[in-house]
Parts: sequence; C-alpha cells; structure tokens
Amino acid sequence: TMRNSGAMLILTFIAILILQAAGVSPPGKPRLTSCRSPEKETFTCWWEPGGDGGLPTTYALYYHLENSETVYECPDYRTAGENSCFFNKNDTSLWVNYNITVVASNALGKNISDPVEVDVVYIVQPNTPEHVTAVVVHDEQGPFVRVSWEKPRTADTRSGWITLLYQLRVKQEKDKEWEEYNAGMQKYYNVFSLHPDKEYMVQVRCKPDHGFWSEWTQTTYVKMPDYITRERSLWIMITIFFVFIVVILTWTLNVKRNSVKLCLLPAVPGPKIKGFDKQLLKSGKSEEVFNTLVIQGFPPTTDYDNLLVEYLEVFDNEEQELVLDGKDLSEDCMKSKSPSDIDSGRGSCDSHTLLLEKCMDGREGSGSNQHQYSQHGETRWASTESSESQGPEPGSPDSANGRGKTWPVVFSSPQPQPHHHYPVGAAKPAYHSVPEILNHLSPHAMSSNYHQLNHQDILQQERRFSKPACRHSQSYNQFNLDGIDTSAPGVAPSPSLEYVEVQRVNPENMLLLRPLSDPNREPEGSDCTREDYSKVKEVTSNNILLLQRDMSHQCVDDYSQADQCTTQQPPHPCKPAVHQSNSGMPQEAIRVMGNGYVDSTVLMPSY
Amino acid sequence: MTQGSRLCFAVAVLMCAFVSINGVGLNDLLERASQLSDKLHSLSTSLTNDLDSHFPPVGRVMMPRPSMCHTSSLQVPNDKDQALKVPEDELLSLARSLLLAWSDPLALLSSEASSLAHPERNTIDSKTKELQENINSLGAGLEHVFNKMDSTSDNLSSLPFYTNSLGQDKTSRLVNFHFLLSCFRRDSHKIDSFLKVLRCRAAKKRPEMC
Repeated sequence: TMRNSGAMLILTFIAILILQAAGVSPPGKPRLTSCRSPEKETFTCWWEPGGDGGLPTTYALYYHLENSETVYECPDYRTAGENSCFFNKNDTSLWVNYNITVVASNALGKNISDPVEVDVVYIVQPNTPEHVTAVVVHDEQGPFVRVSWEKPRTADTRSGWITLLYQLRVKQEKDKEWEEYNAGMQKYYNVFSLHPDKEYMVQVRCKPDHGFWSEWTQTTYVKMPDYITRERSLWIMITIFFVFIVVILTWTLNVKRNSVKLCLLPAVPGPKIKGFDKQLLKSGKSEEVFNTLVIQGFPPTTDYDNLLVEYLEVFDNEEQELVLDGKDLSEDCMKSKSPSDIDSGRGSCDSHTLLLEKCMDGREGSGSNQHQYSQHGETRWASTESSESQGPEPGSPDSANGRGKTWPVVFSSPQPQPHHHYPVGAAKPAYHSVPEILNHLSPHAMSSNYHQLNHQDILQQERRFSKPACRHSQSYNQFNLDGIDTSAPGVAPSPSLEYVEVQRVNPENMLLLRPLSDPNREPEGSDCTREDYSKVKEVTSNNILLLQRDMSHQCVDDYSQADQCTTQQPPHPCKPAVHQSNSGMPQEAIRVMGNGYVDSTVLMPSY
Repeated sequence: MTQGSRLCFAVAVLMCAFVSINGVGLNDLLERASQLSDKLHSLSTSLTNDLDSHFPPVGRVMMPRPSMCHTSSLQVPNDKDQALKVPEDELLSLARSLLLAWSDPLALLSSEASSLAHPERNTIDSKTKELQENINSLGAGLEHVFNKMDSTSDNLSSLPFYTNSLGQDKTSRLVNFHFLLSCFRRDSHKIDSFLKVLRCRAAKKRPEMC
C-alpha cells in the first residue's frame, strides 16, 4: 500500500514528465476578441484560442445576464464559423449586459478566459451596402457619375429600428488617396468633377446612428467618357481669338514698319558742327577731325580795342558818386572775388600769374591805343606822358569822345582787362582811373592832372601805394572831382603799379587813397589785405550799406557816417557806411550773396 | 400703408402664429425630437469615454450593477419584435417617462461634476450642463408631440430618484457618478430608439427616410 501509492506517485510524475517532454499541456487561456450585432437583433462573439497544449481542445462559451445568475451556454457554435458563438433573436436581449466567458478544455485541463460585459445595442456594426452601381449621366453641364446602392439586407431601416448613414469613396486606379463623400441616409450620390476618359473605382459603406462602420463594398468600376468640358472649349476659343488678333497686329506692324520705327525711335540728329567732318571721324584720325575745328584767328586779336572799349562810358554826374563810393572798391573787390562772378568778362590776361607779355603781344599791332604795360609797369607812365602828345591816348577823352568811350588807364597790371569785368550793357564800371576821370571832367584838368603824374610824383607817392591784395581792384588816386585842383599833390600813379585803396573821402569830396602795401597803414593792413572786400552787415533806412569788418578800430574811418559805426564799435568795428546818393543808385534790393558779399552788379546803375 | 396691405400683413402674421403653434406636422416634430435624442445619447457616450480615460480599476469592482439603476423598474421592450408591437402612444409615454425620470438625477450630476476627482472635470462639467439643456428641450418637444398625437390617456410612469448625494469620499463619488452616467446612457439609447421608431411610423409619406 505505501509502496503502491509511492509507486503511483512516481509513475504519475514520470508520466507527466514524459508528457511534458512530448509537448502536451492544458490549453492556453482563450480570449474573446469581439462581439458584433449587424442589425440590433442578433449578435456574434468570437474568441481566439490560447494554445491547445498539443491536445485536442474544446471551447465552450458561457454567459449570464446582468440581473440573473443563470449561466447559459452558447446556443450556436457553427453559424458564425470557427471559434464563434452566434446568438439568435431569441437569445438576444437589448439594453441588458451579457457576461460572457469562454472555457477551453482538453484532456489535461481547462482554461477560462476573462469575462466580458457586452450590451448588444453598443456593438452594432451593419453589413456592407449592396448592389452598388455607378453610371455616367450626361448632363448639359457635363457628364457626371451617379452612384447608387441598397441597404444591407439584414438591416431593418424601414421600421426605424435601425438608422443607417452611408459613405462612399472614389479614386482612380493610380491614385493613392480616396476621395470620400458622405451621403447621409440617402442611397445614391452624384459625383462631379471627374476627369474625362478615366476609369474610377467606387466603394460604399454604412454605419448605424450609434455604432461601428461597416466594411467597404467590393469595388465598382466606372469609366468617364471622353469629352471636352465647356470651360475648356471656351478657353480654346479665347486662345484662337487672341492668336488671331496677335497675327493681325503683327502683320499690321510689319506693313507699317517704317512709320512705327519713326514713332518709337525718333531720329537722333547727327552732329552739325561747322567744319566737323563725319567722314574724318569714321576714318579714325581724331587729330585731323579736331584740327578742323580749330578756327584760325580765334580768339580774335584784331579789333581788340573795339571790343574792349565797348563798355566804357564816362559820364559826369554819376561817375563822381561812383568814384566817391568807397563801396565801389569793395564792390569791385567783392565782385571780382565773388564766387558767382567767376567768368564775367575776365580774360586770361586778368590772371595775376600770367605774364603780361602774352597779353601785350596781342595788342601790339593794334595801334597806338596799345599801352605797354609790364607787370609792374614802371615805365608806363612815362610812355604815357611821352605819348600824350602823340595823340589821343586810349582812355583820353579825345579817344573817348571819338569813340564815345574811354580807356581806363589804371595802375594795376592788366589795364584793358577791366572791360571783362563788366557784363555787356550792364553796370558801368564803378571805378575809373584818375586820368580818365580827369580827362572827362575838363580837358585842361586832364592834362594838368596828367602832368601830375610824373615820375617824381610817382616816386614820391610810391610809398603810398601798396600791393594790391585784390588784384583786380583798381587803385584810386586822390583827386578833386568838382574842380580839379591841380595843386592837389594828387597821387601819382605808382609806376610800380601798386594797388591802392580808398581810405576815405574827405569832406571836400576828395578820395584819400592809400596804397595797399603802405607800411604806414595800420597794422590791420594785413587784415585788410586779407579782407579788401567786406560783408554787408545791414542796409539802413537811408539805403546805406553797413559793412562789417572783423577788424580793429582802425578800419573805422571817420566818414560822416562814422557816428553810426562808433556806436557800434567793439566788438564790431565796421567799415564806414557807404555813401549812396538816392538819385544815383537804383532802388533795387541789394542782392546779398550767400557768402555775405553784396552783388554790386545789381547796384550799378545801368547805362 | 394702405388698408389692403395692412390687412394682408395682419393675415400673414396670424398665419405665421398659427403655423408656428400648430402648423408643424407630426413628422417634423418627431424628426426634431429624434435629432435631439440622438444628440443626447452622443453626449452621454462621449461623457462616458471621458470618465473611462482616468478611471481607477478599483472603481470597476465597486461599480453597482446596472440593475440598480432607478429606471430599471420600467418595463420596456427589449427586442425589436416586442418594440414594433408597442403602439405609438405607449412608445411615446415610455420615452417621456424615461426622460422625466432623469431630470432630477441630471441636476445632481450637474452639481457634482465640477468637484469630481477627475482630470477631465471641466469637460465633464460642461457636457453635463449641455445634457441638462437637451433634456429640457426634448421634454418640451415631446410634450408637443404628445399633444399632437391626441392620445387618450397620459400614462406616464413615475420613476423617482431619491438619492441626493453621490457619496462621501471622492472615490465613491466618482464611482457613483460613473454609474449614474452609465444608467443614463442606456436610457438615452432607449429613448432614441423609440423615437426613431415613432418617426418612421409617422413618416409613411416619406419612405426614403425609413
């Protein structure tokens, strides 16, 4: 007995070992995969086996309802296939939980699955729709496809027990993505915008109002006819029309080619330079071309006098005021130095650096009117004196009368050039040489004054002249305009052709000149040389220009109007006011140029 | 406005009023009611999913059985054959009874939703409020349907709801909330099904709908 039971145990143990070595075991745990009801009337549950353990295994499904403990077994294992349980109408209750388990059993044992709670109304998944058709409908807008189908056979929608919603999808064979359309509860759908001459695949599926989507139906094929859309035919017509228009335009342009060319590309006038030979240019020799442009005899050297003398008209009254006006000097200085007055009338001979010989050469052969001037012209006056008996000197009143013009004899270097300062027909030169003025005033005075201009005087007065800082300025001689006072020592023109400037006008209407290089000049001479032009500070009510000068008090001259200045003395000692007669000067506005200088051209009375 | 046009206007206004009260056919009323009940059930399903997303496993164990729903005493058809045999007015009264039975519980759910121990509490709260509105609308609509159907008797079942609290601790409150919601989900499905049956029964002129 003890030995028997022990032997039995050992045998069992060995048998198990053998069996295990043979690979058999109790079944694995089955698992319920899903339960579905296609029409809310029946349902089916499927399970998957857990492994049969090498032995034939049987499965059994057991269920009980929520409110009872009675366990029922699956009524139908076959209808739904392998590993399934079909619950028919009689066994199906709605709005009730089913507690379902599956038991797998084989020779060695059994295994029970986890229980699953199922309410039939929540697991509704209908069958696929049936009889899907897709036909091409020809419409005036263009053909389209009408897809129609029927409900799944099992679903009872007629009574309203189940409500189905449909969906279809369309694509070409080659497309990756489907185009989906929702059809609602209706059983047909029109698909537009399909391409002509293409084959399409169509599928349909459905879903209950609260449940799962069915499977897609089998593919239905439909082929679109080959047609041209209205839109495309319209575009073709438009294109043809425009091509036609373009052809017409091109032909027209071609016919009127020339006038179009004339219109779009107006002729560029060729160069019409006298003496310019286009052929020469084409040949490539530029020297020849430009040589032809060189006009011999330009600049004209003949008739120099005529040209230059043109602008000088000496008049009695005005010239006095003009000469008296110290402003003239400044004007002249300013004018000559004004940046805007760059080229007015100034010739090459005006340049301080140019040798006068050049200028003289041009005038050599022009007659007795020519004066020989050197840059410092020491001997000039001598020649003037000597030649005074020879006849009318240039600038002499005779010559002036003869021509109606005078030649200003000035001490500074390029005498004729002053003409260049004056624009044609513009302001009369504000400054005249003493001889000229003297000539004009009275013939006898002229000669007497001329006589004054002798060497000795010149030499004596030499010191009184200074180098002109303003090289174009004219130097003044002190002279008596009203009645030429021969006794006036006058200021002999410096043979050295130094510049002088008006120091002041004394009450006897005498210009007091002083050479610019005068050492007796005030220390401000350097300053003055720097600034022989002055800025207009303001214009008073008496049409008097108040000039500004940043200098020491030396520049303050005792003109009659000096009181004005004295009041304004430091820090702005100003140059004495400019005298200006009301009648003489035009009542025009003073044109103040940007740099503070007055444009005296405006103020010059025009003759 | 001339006298003639004034008269026309008055007639039009009267007709509009008439139509608005009585002019809507039964079909349209039932159609509208079905739509509302559909929405009601969809909302409850979505609420259930929200709750399930973060539901403690212990809760499932604690969950009361569905037979414990306060409306379980109401006898309803539980398959199609039975349901199709039920006359319309009875179907309607069933639907109305169920609907009425849930107005109080939903009020409770609505008040408790904001203090639920659940991460989706805000969504749940808003959806619960929406549920309440829908129930009120549907109730009013079904009143109209009832009046329209000229039924002889108004045999509404009374399904009282005595619970006024979901529980003391947060877990039991959450579990009870979930349980109540599941009861409602089922009942809303019943209502929806019955109304849709009614809809198709009344829409004999429009077979394409059913």
